[in-house]
Amino acid sequence: MKIKRSLVLLLVLTMVLSLFAACGSKDTSSNDSTNDSTNTDTSAENNTSTEEDNTEEVSSDDEKVTLSVLAGQSTTDAGIEDMIDEALAKKYPNITLEWECVDWGKDFQPKMQQYIQSGLPDIMVGKAQDIATYGSQGLLADLTGKDYLSNVLDEAIPGVTIDGKVYGIVYNALYQGVYYNRQIFEENNLEVPDTLEELQAIIDKLNSLNITPFATHFVDTWSIGNITMQFAINEVFSKTPDWGDKFRAGEVSFIDSPEYGRAYEYNKLVYDNTWKDETFSLEQTDCDARLVLGEAAMKVSGSWSIQNFLDIDENFDFGIFPFPNSTGDAKLIFEPNMTWMASATSEHLDAVDKVFEVLTGDKDLALEIFNYTKTSSMIKDVSPTYPNPSQKDIDKYVAEGRIIDANIGNNQLQWGGFQDENAKDIAAWLQGDITLEDALKAADSRRENSKP
Amino acid sequence: MKSNFKRYMRIQYISLVLPGLIIFTFGLIIPMFLAFRYSLTSWNGMTAEKPFVGLENYKNLLTDRHVRDAWIFTFKFTFYNTIIQNVFALIFAVALDSSIRGKRIYRTIIFLPCLISTIIVGFIWLKMFSNVLPAFNKLLGTNINFLLFGSGETVLNGLLIANNWQWIGYWMLIYLAGLQSIPEELYEAAKIDGATGWRRFINVTIPMLGPAFTICIVGITTGSLKVYDLMVSSTGGGPGRTSTSIIYHIYNTAITGRQYGYGSAMSISLVIVLLVIAVIQLRYLRRREVQL
Repeated sequence: MKIKRSLVLLLVLTMVLSLFAACGSKDTSSNDSTNDSTNTDTSAENNTSTEEDNTEEVSSDDEKVTLSVLAGQSTTDAGIEDMIDEALAKKYPNITLEWECVDWGKDFQPKMQQYIQSGLPDIMVGKAQDIATYGSQGLLADLTGKDYLSNVLDEAIPGVTIDGKVYGIVYNALYQGVYYNRQIFEENNLEVPDTLEELQAIIDKLNSLNITPFATHFVDTWSIGNITMQFAINEVFSKTPDWGDKFRAGEVSFIDSPEYGRAYEYNKLVYDNTWKDETFSLEQTDCDARLVLGEAAMKVSGSWSIQNFLDIDENFDFGIFPFPNSTGDAKLIFEPNMTWMASATSEHLDAVDKVFEVLTGDKDLALEIFNYTKTSSMIKDVSPTYPNPSQKDIDKYVAEGRIIDANIGNNQLQWGGFQDENAKDIAAWLQGDITLEDALKAADSRRENSKP
Repeated sequence: MKSNFKRYMRIQYISLVLPGLIIFTFGLIIPMFLAFRYSLTSWNGMTAEKPFVGLENYKNLLTDRHVRDAWIFTFKFTFYNTIIQNVFALIFAVALDSSIRGKRIYRTIIFLPCLISTIIVGFIWLKMFSNVLPAFNKLLGTNINFLLFGSGETVLNGLLIANNWQWIGYWMLIYLAGLQSIPEELYEAAKIDGATGWRRFINVTIPMLGPAFTICIVGITTGSLKVYDLMVSSTGGGPGRTSTSIIYHIYNTAITGRQYGYGSAMSISLVIVLLVIAVIQLRYLRRREVQL
């Protein structure tokens, strides 16, 4: 009886104590990381001293250092870990990377959220837009002035700079637009469209030939989110670059914006001209295969599809053009992709610097990675050599100055909790469950979650 | 001598109970209290500040359309699952408890899917519905709609097929164990009383399977209310949000959507619903159990 009573008392006491602990309101672990970093100025000083302290620790070649790496990867990136490990082992055999690879779209943010509480990994690999989320909270190490930054293209620096401080290394880039089967276009005398009317004419012609105009895989909600942002970049953000800030300030809204309304409606145009019955069941690989096999003529996508295209048929001839906007001046979208970041509280910042030095300085490694991922280089003097039939189109748009950075939109509207939720509303609208107005109003209702 | 024995027994009790109590306390009780605390804040899961908002999150729960839809989907999924899995598990168990030839092979085949990870099951059925089964249409020249995950109207059916395919074998084993523990004398006595096969099933088998019914019904109900991983790899909660279960919605809100406080409020409401349902079921079903 006594034992039972003691156990009950113990249980109750633990419950009460846990409640008090929780009500203490300040999470010490999160404070450690966040407070350190909220005071960016002081943390910068602290970091310098930590760096200095660590320099001695790891400068010895014999001193073994293991760095934890959280890699939020795109589908194309899986496998580059071995290449980096090999190159690193050659130059700094004492440094080992302990990789944790996750899907950027699904798991990177949850993982970061978890690690913010328990301590960030030494290195994180995400996308340039993550700098706005985590750099602004002071969680990332300031890389300003590091020698290896001179290996990176100058154009890649502004997107990872906050208040004059550089928080990341953009390693490669993707292009986004409409990939098209060049053979189908040539056989049917179709010209790359600049206006919506020209695009509609192509769609009509393809339909008359019983060729599905657009290949889609809407089972992946992220693909709806991605193409909507593509439409919005050329329809909304290219005209009003601070649309996101105005949205949060209540000056503009989705429901009252004809531009954003059009960006949503382009989804319907694509949906009405794809395999409607199958798109919510069809995976990306199957979808890409159908484009390569000539069952569809176009796909609104990004460079991440190239790996699939060439795996299915290495001789597949394809091009790319920007999805036209209402003013006929759409630009090809350029997206800084793989972005390397270091934790502000890492105890091994010196070793992290050495890893970044290898990444940006080892041109053979960079070339190997770009050729493998089928992406464009953001490292100076390194040009990928993989066959990319769409490169001539890209070169043309670059020469004409018709290129726009995807971060103009992504840095203003948060992906997780905003863009992805909007994509679900768009899917519901396409399926006829809600109206377009409902979908636009739903985006307005989550205004508070829109800030990256 | 007696007091020594008592002391020994006390130590034994404590050593047996304490590990479980510690794990239970740190793994469940404390996180639950922490979740309750967070549910009273508008914390985003990242910042040090956790602004206190009182019961605001709970108020919002009552008017949130997406929460309501997620609950409706979850309840539908649970309702159909509980009926289908129990009925088929019992039918298979009765069939394979008879002297049917090759019953061990059948048992193994039916049980095998539950050894597969639910994530893999999701992938398997995504491929089945989008690639494998439509290929039969082409082969046979038929026009059956196998694209069950592709529409909000059929996605529940698709998920029920996948979930039941995986778990019927597991619950079948519980019923099978229950059937094998029924004393043969009861059937013999019923036979002597002139009971037919059907009567024996209704009046002997079913009452004697009371404990198995309790385990299966409570297990399937609570398991279905917590469904999450199946959607991750098959529908992603879509099309739109038509297959978003409450747990899936909680994860999306708290983790991906950075509304940790609001997500915690949803979690607390889920725990309460689970507790209420489990208690009601246990009370009702236990009362109907037959003890020998």
